[in-house]
Formats: sequence, structure tokens, C-alpha cells
Amino acid sequence: MVSVVLSGVRKSFGTVEILKGIDLTVEDGEFAVFVGPSGCGKSTLLRMICGLDEVTSGTVAIGGEVVNDVPPAQRGIAMVFQSYALYPHMTVAENMGYSLRLAGVDKAEIRSRVATSAAVLRLDKLLDRKPRELSGGQRQRVAIGRAIVRDPRLFLFDEPLSNLDAALRVDMRAEIASLKARLGSTMIYVTHDQIEAMTLADKIVVMNAGRIEQVGSPLDLYRMPANRFVAGFIGSPRMNVVAAVVGPDGRPVLAGGAVFPVRTDLAPGTRIDVGIRAEHLSPAENGDEGTLSGAVRVVEHLGSDVFVHLAVEGAAYPVIVRIGGERQVRAGDLFRVTPEPSSIHVFDAAGLRVPTRSPARSAA
Amino acid sequence: MLDLSSRTAKIVFGSAAILIALFLFFPIYWLAISAFKPNAELYRITPTLYPHDPVLTHFATAFGRGNLMQQLRNSLVVSCSAAALNTLLAIYAGYSFAKFRYSGRRLVMVFLLSAQVFPFGLLLISLYPIVTSLGLIDSRAGLTLSYIVFALPVSTYMFYSYFTQVPSEMIEAARADGAGELRIFHTIVLPVSIPAVVTVFLYGFMWSWNDLLYAMTLIVSEDKRTIGPGMLLAYLNEVNSDWGGAMAASIMASAPIVVAFAFLQRWFIQGVTAGSVK
Repeated sequence: MVSVVLSGVRKSFGTVEILKGIDLTVEDGEFAVFVGPSGCGKSTLLRMICGLDEVTSGTVAIGGEVVNDVPPAQRGIAMVFQSYALYPHMTVAENMGYSLRLAGVDKAEIRSRVATSAAVLRLDKLLDRKPRELSGGQRQRVAIGRAIVRDPRLFLFDEPLSNLDAALRVDMRAEIASLKARLGSTMIYVTHDQIEAMTLADKIVVMNAGRIEQVGSPLDLYRMPANRFVAGFIGSPRMNVVAAVVGPDGRPVLAGGAVFPVRTDLAPGTRIDVGIRAEHLSPAENGDEGTLSGAVRVVEHLGSDVFVHLAVEGAAYPVIVRIGGERQVRAGDLFRVTPEPSSIHVFDAAGLRVPTRSPARSAA
Repeated sequence: MLDLSSRTAKIVFGSAAILIALFLFFPIYWLAISAFKPNAELYRITPTLYPHDPVLTHFATAFGRGNLMQQLRNSLVVSCSAAALNTLLAIYAGYSFAKFRYSGRRLVMVFLLSAQVFPFGLLLISLYPIVTSLGLIDSRAGLTLSYIVFALPVSTYMFYSYFTQVPSEMIEAARADGAGELRIFHTIVLPVSIPAVVTVFLYGFMWSWNDLLYAMTLIVSEDKRTIGPGMLLAYLNEVNSDWGGAMAASIMASAPIVVAFAFLQRWFIQGVTAGSVK
């Protein structure tokens, strides 16, 4: 187990700056997930921790030692690649034992360590097969086996599940979660899939355009997104964000006239964005304060839940509402919803979160 | 648009294929039948389409006359050495161009490929004095080296395009596993590149085996002569044109390369298509 400390890490390819100063600490035994849209620099950052890409400026420290100039093999890490990156001419056992062979470990020891790791990953019957004789899921397990057999201080995963189909991805996600529990090693995992991030991480690092937008536990990010980007990125479906202005009493007012039941200290007339998740909107009783209403555009039945897309006056995009699966809603119906006041997020013109308080409490 | 599965399309493409095959194979057919025709039939004003009275005398002559076996041996030695050396140099150069980034990489590659714009014969004018000053004139080593000059740029490019298809993640995985660059190349990349190695080896081999000009110019001693000039000088010189013997000797001379192709063609085809179908 080992901690990873990144200080002022920058990366440029020619004149293009990919990473614009990253400061981050991943603690001993922590499972950190870098998440962000394609091209945000998360894979580049992982490759720099691995030593596959050079650091343009700043330092990468693993276990207290700055490793900028240490080759990958001497960093005590193992990396699992998106494309498995298995050696096609070697058997599963040879693939898994390759790093140990390079390290000069004796043959009997290699055999026993490969067998142990293979048993953990249910690969014991496949040890004599070549990668081309394996399914996608088996290949990815070999890639993970190749990493754990080395007993590394630090595991790096670069989008390891994105080549798998949806069902297999769920299985492998559970497998990685149990691996994390069993090994207790420090792990850094890159993905663009926020569900993987939410389910696996102790700590999520949300990245965008070469910068860290927010670092926190999955629930922190979900409940208290620091800005509009994080609010939109974490959570499924995306948080509804509508443009509004601050009304005379500090309450956000939508262009269509709807008033939200929270207050901010921003000056009246200030342009803001109001965010509310689909699950924090509930079907309204008549006359509720802050009720949003609109015609139902689309109804998505997912069995347990129904997602209703509403065309709310003054909102540029449909507002999505989650309701119980038993409720009957048809396209074209008029639908009214009430937001849960404590789950309303307000973002200023720069997209940063603004503190809010409930009108009731301020009056009291 | 022509429907590719239609009967018309099949007839058009089928006929084209047959015509091309006839065009390519007729000389080989002519070579084969001429080797079995007696001289009287061979030199008739109206040629016959098959040997009416097949004989083996030309083969006997070809074995007996000149140094066919010696020349075959010389050709094999020179062609195999040139092909091996060419493959060895090209594989490292191609890998370096494909998988490493350094300044001047593109320039060196363009420079290397630009050697191809000079006609084969023209290069001989500058190669001749170089080979002479190295003391390699009239030696199999000199001939071998001169063949590499021409085969190397294309071979390097062939390896370059093959290696660009080898996934970089596989190499990076080996790097993370603790392998050095040379070890990665020898234990990871090379074993998956056999088709490319076979393709380039055969390319270099054919280049040397089929040559006449360089072998005629750089080799003068009878005992070092390769098969091409050897046959030309033995059968088709100023005073003598023994077509029957030349044909029989040609069949024997092309046998090794045909056998090699038949044996290696699976690899060869794979090598050619390795980049397009992964």
C-alpha cells in the first residue's frame, strides 16, 4: 500500500496543454476514480503516474518518493489497459508470469503465484490457452491477473471495462469491487462512466479540460456538486439545470414565472442557473409553492421507475422527473411537480455553486 | 451500376481473371514445353503447342554443361545472405520509425525512401567504384551488400507499416511489466511479427535471385557466378543460342524459389494483409 501525491502536474504535447496543473493526493489503500468526458486528460494523468508519459512540469510522488524520472517497471505499480494488451503469442500462464520472469523470480515460485492469482479470478482452467481462445471477459480477467500476480503497491486501471458488453461490465465491476476489498491496495481507476465511478470509488476526482473540477466521496459529489459541470456529470439521468434570475426576495424565478422555494444572497436580477435532480422532483398537489408545470413530452418506462420529460415554460431543455413505476402518465398530459427545497442547487454566472437557505428557516 | 452478384458480373470478372492468368502463365507454359521439345521441333517455323515427341536431353545437357549446380549454390548463398541481412537491418529500422519519436525521424525516412527514385541501373554507376575500393569486386560479399542497397528502403517501409499496426498498449504493458526496450522487441513484438519477417525475407530474396545486371557487372569469375548471368552466358551468348538447354536450366533454376513460395505462401499472404485485417 502506498500514497500518491501529485503536485502542480502539467502536461503539454507541443503547444497544446493537456493538463493544467493538477494537485491531488490519493491516500494509502484508497480507491480513487478519475472521471470526466473524453479528452479531459484523465488517461494522460494515469499514464504519467505509471511512467508511460513524461511529466512536463510538477512532481509525481509514490510512497513519498518523487518518481518523475523512475522508469515504469521500478515504480512498483501494475496497470490494466482498456484493450487488455495481452501478449497474443503467450498462454494465459505465460502472460501472467511474464513480469515475474523478468524480475528473476524462480520458476516454481512463478507457477505458484500464477496459480493463486488464477484461482482468485477463476482462470485456473484457462492457464494453457492463448488470448485468442478467450472471451472478452476472460481476457480482461487475465489482464487483471497479470496485474495482481506482481503484488504491486499501486494498481492503475485505464477504462478497463469499456470494451465489454453491458452485462459483462456489471459482472466485472463487481469483481473489481471484491478485488479492492480483498487486496486493500491503493488503486486509481480511470473511466468516463459515472456509474462505475459512483459504485467503485472511495474518492472521485472529476476532471474537465485538463483541470480537476472537484474531489470528494461519491455522495459528496452527488449531494454538493461544487459547480455546474460536476452537477451535470455526476448522477443519472443528468441533473436538470434551468436558467433563472434572482427575484426581489432572493428566490430564483424561472422565465416562465415559476418561483423556487429557496433563497440566495445574490442581488435581485442576477442571472443564475438552478439545478434539481429528477429524483428530487415529486408530483405536486395543487397550489404548491414553486411548482413547475409543463406538458409531458416523453415517458420512459424502466419498470421500477418512470422518467417523464416535461416541457416547462422558460426552460431551454425538457425537465426530467422520476416517478414511481406504477403511475400512469401519457404524453401530452399537463404535469405539475414540486422540488425538494434542500436539494435545489443554485449556480452563479461562472457556474459555481452558491449557498442557499430555505425561505421558511430564514423567516424563522 | 453493375450488380456484383449478377451472372453478367461473374462472366466479366471471370473472363478478366482467366485472361490475366493466361497472360501471366503462357511464358511459363512455353518455358516448360520448350524444355521437353527436341531441337528439330523447337526450331520449326510453325511452333507446336505441346511437345509431340518429348525428350529429356536438354536436362541432361544442362546438368552436364557449365556449372549449373555451382551457380545455383552461389545464387542461394548470395540471395539468402542478402535477404537475411536486409531483413535484420530493416526490422530494427522499421521498428524505430514506427514506435519511437525523435527529431529527424521523418526526414531520415523520406531520405531512405528517396533512394527508390533512382533507377536500379543508375545506382550501379556509383556502387561499382565503392565496391571496388572496398576490395569487394568479384566477391559474393560485394554482390550481397549491393543488393541490400536497393531492397532495404522498401523493406524498412514494409516493417514500418507493419509495426504501426502493432498495438502500442501491448508494448506499454510490457514496459510496465518491467521489460527493457530490446527485450520488448525480442520477446513481445518479434514473435507476433513472423508474417512480416517472412514477407520481407522473400522480397529481399526475390530481388537478389532475379537480378541479372548487378551480378553480370560485379562478378567476373566463373566460379562465383550466380544463376542468371551463368545461364545467359552458357546458353545464349554471341556464338551459341541453345534455347532448349536454356529452358531446361531455367526450370531447374526456378524450382527452389517456387518450392520456397509454395511452402511459405500462407505466411506471405498473411504478411501482406496483416495491416488491413486485424
